[in-house]
Amino acid sequence: MNRGYYWLILGLSMPAFLWLVPTIWMVSLSFQPNEVLARTTSTTFFGLVPLPFTAENYAALVSFGQTPWWFLNSVIVAVGMTLGVLAVSTTAGYVLARMDFPFKRTITVICLVGLMVPEQAVFIPLYTMFADFGWHNSYHALILPRMAVPIGVFLMMQFFRAIPKDIEEAARLDGVGWLKIFWYVMLPLARPAMMTLAILTFLYAWNDYLWPLVSAQQREYFTITLGLASIQSNFAQSEGLGRVMASGVIASLPVVILFLIFQRYVVQAMTVGGSKG
Amino acid sequence: MSAGGKKQLSQTQAAWLLLTPFLLTYALFLVYPFLRGFWISLHDWNLLAVAFNPDAKEYVGLRNYERVMWGRNIAWGLFAAPLWQGTGLVGLVLSVALVLAGRLSRFNAIALGVISALLVLLPGFHPGEEGRWYDRRFWPTVGNTLVFVGLAVPGVTLSALVLAAAMNRETRAMGILRTLFFLSQVLSVTVVTLIWQIMFSPRQGLIANITETFGGTPINWLTDEQFAMAAIVIATIWWSLGIAMILFLAGLQDISKDIYEAAALDNAKGVKAFWYVTLPNLQRTITLVVVLQIILHFQVFGQSHLMTQGGPNDTTQVLVRYIYQTGFRDSELGRASAMAVFLFLIMGCFSIIQFIVGREK
Repeated sequence: MNRGYYWLILGLSMPAFLWLVPTIWMVSLSFQPNEVLARTTSTTFFGLVPLPFTAENYAALVSFGQTPWWFLNSVIVAVGMTLGVLAVSTTAGYVLARMDFPFKRTITVICLVGLMVPEQAVFIPLYTMFADFGWHNSYHALILPRMAVPIGVFLMMQFFRAIPKDIEEAARLDGVGWLKIFWYVMLPLARPAMMTLAILTFLYAWNDYLWPLVSAQQREYFTITLGLASIQSNFAQSEGLGRVMASGVIASLPVVILFLIFQRYVVQAMTVGGSKG
Repeated sequence: MSAGGKKQLSQTQAAWLLLTPFLLTYALFLVYPFLRGFWISLHDWNLLAVAFNPDAKEYVGLRNYERVMWGRNIAWGLFAAPLWQGTGLVGLVLSVALVLAGRLSRFNAIALGVISALLVLLPGFHPGEEGRWYDRRFWPTVGNTLVFVGLAVPGVTLSALVLAAAMNRETRAMGILRTLFFLSQVLSVTVVTLIWQIMFSPRQGLIANITETFGGTPINWLTDEQFAMAAIVIATIWWSLGIAMILFLAGLQDISKDIYEAAALDNAKGVKAFWYVTLPNLQRTITLVVVLQIILHFQVFGQSHLMTQGGPNDTTQVLVRYIYQTGFRDSELGRASAMAVFLFLIMGCFSIIQFIVGREK
């Protein structure tokens, strides 16, 4: 560690702080009284320090408004989607990586071609389909489309391919059936990959905007991401800046906590998601 | 464990049993909607009319594509859109020059060359005498999307590359710095737009507060035609720097320390080493990051929809937002689907490039 290294740290701290400023500003505004913010946001040190301080905005969010309800919707949709994606991806990924059956190659290719189809290219036909079924404004309408995206299958397939074959073969020789091998031998080994996929899916579900926007038209079925969009268009008149910012902080809390605890997995998940989906 | 009393499933039976859940959802919610999208694009299909009466659609062949992309008396000229076509020509010259200088692989050169040639060719079309586009907003919208991509992708790539090169050390302090730069990446688009809408506000924004302190006049970032696009690009760079940075850091790990030591003997250190060692060895990662960013940012929607509502005067109207509006505000699902197919084709080309680059190694 020479002197150049410390200068580098110092030099990088400046942009890193600048990068953090918008987030600090959101948190800071959420802790200031609305009456003050209506006059000026330039309170203490350009508003970056929450003085005068109040926790009123958070109290107001809990007692009235739909934010807690939207938050709950997001939890239901994100957890449901994560479980669904894990279930279909681990099974299909294992089969395509490890088992032999007629038409295997064809099916693998058909499944992976789906990686090329962006959400934006199918949201209109999906909308008409779900409308025909009368499925809009429901949790399953928000969950199901993502379960069809093959990114998870791709991820699990890559993972299962890398596991040495002898573990499986030993079990085969003992006469253990395929389903049991999958459930008792392979799945426990796949935990790290499942963790990565779970985080990728959870982040996607929590942050998705376009599909909830077209599918959930009733406010009772808004996710927090969608709800936040609906209040930010007229934040000035209705709720007060502090309260809208508090909603933003609440909406970000789960993903930020997830990120800080499971940083390694999150980075891995977003790298895979970014490079393949 | 033995087979016990029950008969075991054969390998094929077990395989199909485990595959079925995914194949069902895949066929139902991806393959079928995808094909149906093509089918809708061949119809005059009004969202509300068809919702009330399923027979209210009419087969029109490729008319929707014509109504979106073509016009009356369309001509072609080399100087119809000098800025776009000039950029294309520069790109063509650049790709040849870079190949001759040995700074670019053949594949990258071909990709750059093809894109440049398209830039020379496509914007050359324009309405001739007494001619007009059937849809006056479509090509400007595509143009705005390209401008957005053209600003956001180099912005993200360059800053991520510099940061990654600077932070390429496994120490605790570097770990914390990386975390700080990556944090904004996990936020949702609505949180990002919420923050930046107010950051940019001329009355309440942080940027305005700071300019006023130093005696400047605040800029109306989101409502000024000159600055609106810049504003959503800035918010986007802030939001999506993290992934690019992480991918670059992973690429930098693969470059062996020996090469740097050999270069150091030749007096190549710091910036020189970055130029002559890091960049050439990182070319594959750079291509990958650029292609990924193009795919990602071509689909921009939330930033434009929430921060500027496509305005002022359509300057930040982007393709996905136009599809969304045509479909769900104007109820013209047929035309919207034709545009979605157009979007898919462009994305498909880049996905194939991405696939090829991912395979090369």
